[in-house]
Amino acid sequence: MPAKVSLKKNPKRNPLGKVFAGNIGALAVGLKYFFDPNRITLLYPHEYIKLNKGYRGFIVLIKEKCISCSSCARICPAAAMRMLSIKVYNEKLKKYMIKKYPVINYNRCIFCGLCVDVCPTEALYHVPYHDIVYENMNDMILSLEDFQKEPENIEFKEGIPVKYYFDESRGLVKTPYMEELEKQGEKEEKNQKVEGEGEKGAG
Amino acid sequence: MNPCYYACYIVYKVIVYDIIFYPPVYQFLIIPGLITAIIVAIFILWFERKAAAYVQMRYGPWEIAPRIGGAIQLLADLTRYAMQEIITPQTVDTLQYLLAPIVMVVLALLPLEAVPLTSVKPYFPIPSGYSLLVAVAFATLSPLFITMMGWASNNKFSITGSVRESFMITSYELISVLGLLTAAAMTRSYDLVKIVNLQMSGKWLGLINPIALFVVFIAVLMSTSGFPFEIPESESELVAGPFTEYSGLLYGLNMGGAYIRRWVFSILITLVFLGGWAPYRPTPGVITGYFIPSLIVSLKAVVIMGIMSFLRSVYGRYRLDQALGIAWEILIPLALLAFGIGLAEAYFGII
Amino acid sequence: MEVSTSNSRGIHLPGMEIAKASKNRYEVMIGPAHPGSGHMRIFVEVDGDIMVKVDPDIGFVHRTMEKLAEGRDWIQNIPLFERIAILDACNITLPYVRAVEKLLGIEAPERARYLRTLLCEINRVASHLYGMGIFGVFLGHSTLYMWGFGDREVFIDLAERLTGARLTHTYPVFGGVRRDIPDDFPEDARKATRYMRKRLNEYAKIFLNNPNIRSRLENVGVLTKNQAAELGLVGPNIRASGIKYDVRLNEPYEAYGDVDFEIPVFEEGDSLARAWARVEEIRQSLNIIDQVVTWLERNPRENFMHEKFWKTAPKLYKDVYEGKISYSPKYRIKLMPIFASLKVPPGKSFARVEAGRGEIVYYVESDGKNLPYRVRVVSPSFRNVIAFKYVMPGHRLMDLPAIYGSFDYFPPAFDR
Repeated sequence: MPAKVSLKKNPKRNPLGKVFAGNIGALAVGLKYFFDPNRITLLYPHEYIKLNKGYRGFIVLIKEKCISCSSCARICPAAAMRMLSIKVYNEKLKKYMIKKYPVINYNRCIFCGLCVDVCPTEALYHVPYHDIVYENMNDMILSLEDFQKEPENIEFKEGIPVKYYFDESRGLVKTPYMEELEKQGEKEEKNQKVEGEGEKGAG
Repeated sequence: MNPCYYACYIVYKVIVYDIIFYPPVYQFLIIPGLITAIIVAIFILWFERKAAAYVQMRYGPWEIAPRIGGAIQLLADLTRYAMQEIITPQTVDTLQYLLAPIVMVVLALLPLEAVPLTSVKPYFPIPSGYSLLVAVAFATLSPLFITMMGWASNNKFSITGSVRESFMITSYELISVLGLLTAAAMTRSYDLVKIVNLQMSGKWLGLINPIALFVVFIAVLMSTSGFPFEIPESESELVAGPFTEYSGLLYGLNMGGAYIRRWVFSILITLVFLGGWAPYRPTPGVITGYFIPSLIVSLKAVVIMGIMSFLRSVYGRYRLDQALGIAWEILIPLALLAFGIGLAEAYFGII
Repeated sequence: MEVSTSNSRGIHLPGMEIAKASKNRYEVMIGPAHPGSGHMRIFVEVDGDIMVKVDPDIGFVHRTMEKLAEGRDWIQNIPLFERIAILDACNITLPYVRAVEKLLGIEAPERARYLRTLLCEINRVASHLYGMGIFGVFLGHSTLYMWGFGDREVFIDLAERLTGARLTHTYPVFGGVRRDIPDDFPEDARKATRYMRKRLNEYAKIFLNNPNIRSRLENVGVLTKNQAAELGLVGPNIRASGIKYDVRLNEPYEAYGDVDFEIPVFEEGDSLARAWARVEEIRQSLNIIDQVVTWLERNPRENFMHEKFWKTAPKLYKDVYEGKISYSPKYRIKLMPIFASLKVPPGKSFARVEAGRGEIVYYVESDGKNLPYRVRVVSPSFRNVIAFKYVMPGHRLMDLPAIYGSFDYFPPAFDR
């Protein structure tokens, strides 16, 4: 069904009734929220959002999976990713080879995630947090070793994790995030999976 | 008796009774004057920001003192203003530019020298015979200096702002004066002590003549230019109106001046319409006859300030001509009506 | 007295015109660093309190987007164009993607079209809420400002669950989209739309029906139907003046031909009508979100990327989509390495969509290389800004914020 046009007019106001009704309505809404506030502010350094797994945060390289195809460096819109040539000893061929690995410059990165999506072997992945402090701008140009480590999340140091849940009457509800609960859930899932696989294997 | 003890006692008596509780000093500097005004400003600004934050899905000031909900936020702001350099631009009229904010704040506090805060005679700052008239007359003085600030600043925004200020003052102060003097018509007296004493029985003038109270409330709200009603310094087209060129402590004084004016008018409203120190009957003695009634008056005034502050989260800014239209087309007829009602009530002896 | 603008050199840059000094008029500058809305400047000449001449001075945030685009690969331009209007990212980049798709001769599959529609509408709601927040702060109504921004958070959160980023989604790519909806997304989206519908009534109570605000907006900045058509405005502004023009209506794209919704058209053309038009549009967008989410739930998760980019995909790509890789999220659609060095066949193409602030048009020209030859962007704010010059004169200076806010002008979108 295509869109329809609906002609509308500004709601009318009759001189006396609307003035009183309007004022009272506005005051009533104000008072309602004064006595029953719906606060969604994140008290940032004391709390931090536990982001979902799909969040596009900092990027980490799994060196073993990298096949040196340079797709990530070519697709990077901000030219943040560069390929580094490194001599690697190849066990099979028993000789030194030059291999290319990506390194990232967080001065330039815009976290579009195209590099992660284009990687043919899934050698890059996002960590779901984005709060990292560098002391100077040189530190933001990562070396190959740093690029393989998950960066330290400074939010963990102070502050408790919270999660926002959608709610019909309040929009977003901020709830402290229980890591244990989540872990238990994951374990159960894994157990189920393992059991399922076991069944498959048995079958 | 120990002579040293005796000397200390005399010094103590002089300090307490002849200096602190000397009515002009007490009312101008302590309660409800400068010190209380600052404390109230701290509380009211905090309340205003907190109430707005509650309505607006936020927390408001919090970080500076989490246990008391950030209540001392204004102290931090004041310190910041005090530390800032006071810049005097080259193009301003220096003397007027520097003097206007200071004189404005002093004059804004002046009406407190005219209002009696107790019914015990030695504690009247001036003879109370015409105290209402004198207080109202003093209250209309300080806005002149806002206009002067704008003129001295020599800046387009400042001049536009100060012209707006003078427009607002001429229309809204007239209304508040009319509304406050309704009480004089009702009680046949300019004596605030007599007016308050008449309300002792619980017949507050605000209850008997709510229209007058409403009119004065709106007029004070508009003429003292609190946040959404700050037509003279509306941020979105005039940078800060008459205060554009000011910085540092002088800017802080300007902001404080508006609050002090609102505070003074709140005390006047309390005395005239809300029974002053009403449930309490002052008896001779400094504490029971002066301190407690002045505290009661201040508390009632704080409640009025609180209600005014809450309105910030509900309303937006009026256009200048609409604000003036409301004043001349709605509020002045209402004020006259309230005056008529007051006269009728006085005639039929309701009071 | 008319201000003389005919200096011999003929410079007509705003603010550089030589005008005779007049006794009763003086110039007030609104901006360039305005507390309400970023970087814009308006030269206003006032006669007393009445504005006689209004000249928007534009170009404070010019970033040479079009020229930059000529030096980047086709896909690298998508994150670039998001920066035109960052809070409307999907709508702003979609026409570019569509134009390139036309050149490539492909069309996104059905599920991808619905997913694009979903994010477009989420963005439209967020963009309108942002606009209303700015409108509120212009009128000194701090509550609407905070509410607008607070409730926008709900929709930004929705977008984050869908795409993994709060604002710069880079979501539509050539031939499809980058992610499918998570499993719990339909429930969350329905909760959000139900919440927002309720909130809109409260918005009306505290802002639009508030007598204080109504008197500021009613019969202020009236833009007649003829004037609106002559100036060539777009978006909710023109629909508030009674012109039935919406790209979603006139040339349905993506899934807009299949969902059921209304285009609210108002007759008055004043600031209030423009504000109401946005509120009604939010309501319709919520309807669309509900319908699209239901469709996505009912239909199987397949056909999310065009065949051309997917048929040679190795098994790993499908594993990623199904969430079999432990460290990567589920329902992520991987891009083939061909995207990194995409060559687009030569040709010219043109596409338009209805963004939050109005119609946005892209003209894309390719000469067969891996860089675009020319990309021309006409953003909605570019077409709306001229209205200030003709609508504002004759009003009072205090009407300027009311009119400015009601047009929902966004300087970065103008300057590109």
